[in-house]
Amino acid sequence: MISLQKLSTDLLWIKGFFIILFSFLYFNLEAAEGAPCKDYGECDEFKHTLNDMSSLQSGASTFLTYCYGCHSLEYSRWNRVAKDLDIPEEIFFDNLVFDPSVKPGDLMAGSMSKIESAEWFGVAPPDLTLVTRLHGSDWVYTYLRTFYEDSSKQYGVNNLVYPGAAMPNVLASLQGNQQLTCKEVPIIAKNGGEKRDDFGNTITKQKCGFLTVEDGTGSLNEEEFDALIYDLTNFLTYVGDPDKVERERIGWYVVFFFIIFTTLSSLLYREYQKDYH
Amino acid sequence: MSDNISKVFNWVNHRLPIQNTYERHLSKHPVPKKVNFWYLFGALAAVVLIIQIVSGIWLIMLYTPGEQAFASIEYMMRDVDYGWAIRYMHTTGASMFFAVVYLHMFRGLLYGSYQKPKELVWIFGCTIYLAMMAEGFLGYVLPYGQMSYWGAQVIISLFGALPYIGESLELWIRGDYYISGITVNRFFALHVVALPLVLIALVFLHLIALHEVGAGNPEGVDIEAHTDEDGVPLDSVPFFPYKVLNALVGIGVFMTVFAIIMFFFPEGGGYFIEYANYEEANPLVTPDHIAPVWYYSPYYSILRAVPDKLGGFAAMGAAVAIFFVVPWLDRSKVASIRYKGILSKIALVLFGISFLTLGYLGTVSVTEHRKTMGVICTFIYFSYFLLMPIYTSIEKTKPVPDRL
Repeated sequence: MISLQKLSTDLLWIKGFFIILFSFLYFNLEAAEGAPCKDYGECDEFKHTLNDMSSLQSGASTFLTYCYGCHSLEYSRWNRVAKDLDIPEEIFFDNLVFDPSVKPGDLMAGSMSKIESAEWFGVAPPDLTLVTRLHGSDWVYTYLRTFYEDSSKQYGVNNLVYPGAAMPNVLASLQGNQQLTCKEVPIIAKNGGEKRDDFGNTITKQKCGFLTVEDGTGSLNEEEFDALIYDLTNFLTYVGDPDKVERERIGWYVVFFFIIFTTLSSLLYREYQKDYH
Repeated sequence: MSDNISKVFNWVNHRLPIQNTYERHLSKHPVPKKVNFWYLFGALAAVVLIIQIVSGIWLIMLYTPGEQAFASIEYMMRDVDYGWAIRYMHTTGASMFFAVVYLHMFRGLLYGSYQKPKELVWIFGCTIYLAMMAEGFLGYVLPYGQMSYWGAQVIISLFGALPYIGESLELWIRGDYYISGITVNRFFALHVVALPLVLIALVFLHLIALHEVGAGNPEGVDIEAHTDEDGVPLDSVPFFPYKVLNALVGIGVFMTVFAIIMFFFPEGGGYFIEYANYEEANPLVTPDHIAPVWYYSPYYSILRAVPDKLGGFAAMGAAVAIFFVVPWLDRSKVASIRYKGILSKIALVLFGISFLTLGYLGTVSVTEHRKTMGVICTFIYFSYFLLMPIYTSIEKTKPVPDRL
């Protein structure tokens, strides 16, 4: 066995090691890449609920109605989606598949030719099977909610998360006309309180970059629209990693097995160690 | 019945040294009776090698090299029953392989596992590491995602920095004027046939050489100095079952960690599978930020620390190559860090820190500030080795005990 004194000197070295290491690493921490959601800053947090079938189903419906016209899910198959989302194949094909030539086992290859769409849009709309794995679900969830009117752009809209995105705001009829606006916001003093003038009125400054939807221009209110985008992002998270739920379910058994394995083998090892101690 | 079995066994044994080999390398092979957890990583590396070979065989059944590579990966991840399990086993295995090998190498530096007469064991080990780096790089290109493509672009273009032969060498490696399906095809051949053969042969040599000279221990005591009348070291136990059981506990802990990563965090936060690799290779679009996988990042930092391309390539090569001569750089009379002097201890701590810092720097984009840090850490990295003959010979060592 290691003597206690030896152990404490070892620990001293290890402690010293980590103190210097962290000071080295800390010295290098700085944001050089910029915010993950560009002009929007940090992305809004998205927590998936891959067991919530009604959310996934509504997301699939939104995707196939609004997105699938341009974007494919070319690594995913129709009947797999129907099965995983608990939608009976007949209902699925009658209501969500608009191309009669599609067979259940086909890949969701999109309904627009890539070559022609590249000509029309300047760039072919990307396949979205892996979009949540490439950019993250947070990014997708934020991106879809941050279109704003910008008449200088080809489609009259721009995006905070993806400035210059070559995509029209397909969901504008639901969301309404969103604009970038400025607001008067209170100036915060050093002590954390709002700054006031001699008469006790709050001193404000103008701050821009707020997204505001023009009242009555969309068919959904803000909450309903956010819920719709949540379901859509949830569906895309599923499509990106369709075996995630199953994988994690099996994972618990495997981890449990190895914990038992470790326990038994260490008991056995201890028993055998008695031979020479 | 049992008589017949033993007859058959004897027949075979007279023609093939089964019993002899079993006794020599397992049942009677003496190993030091007191070692610590640092001595487990060799066995763990062997376990990962087996995982990689077995999962690799299944991956070959599902994978299509060439231009369809990316689609074939998504096919196995979605359409093949438990295809994801096979692939994540292999991707997790790749990172874990490097993790245990880095710890195994650090153990070597910590307890002087390269000292006489273990020089060849060490050199075979360094060669395994070199082969692993090549194997890992080739494997990383196979999914043909954006990071596969641009990572390969960076590495292959390094060969272009060589004078005279550079450009033709680049062309020869790619097999095309730019990285294409043809490059993927040849990398596939090298990844699944050529380098695994080399790796297995090297592991075999590493083990044979190790069994010839005997395993070390954290005290640096030569256990061969005190033997019983049969020549068995007094401070040793037979490999089977004692060492095997010891390793089994380590394997259990390791596999628990492995399973947690594989089933719950297969992307390892973008370090084990980089997010940018979820986009198919596109020669026309450069990713914002090209970063190697974490296990190459210390060397990538060293490459970036030198402003000249050829110089950087040379520094990177030297950073790996210098491990080979460690047995001759260490002039200490003792093997283990426990009996070495304060200078060796400080040097090893600084080396470890600079290696990890370089690793971190290799995964993030460069700023002026980080560049300076990269140069400082590269300097410490090389100083650890180049000053070793000096600090190991002038420092005062403690006396090594006689027995374990």
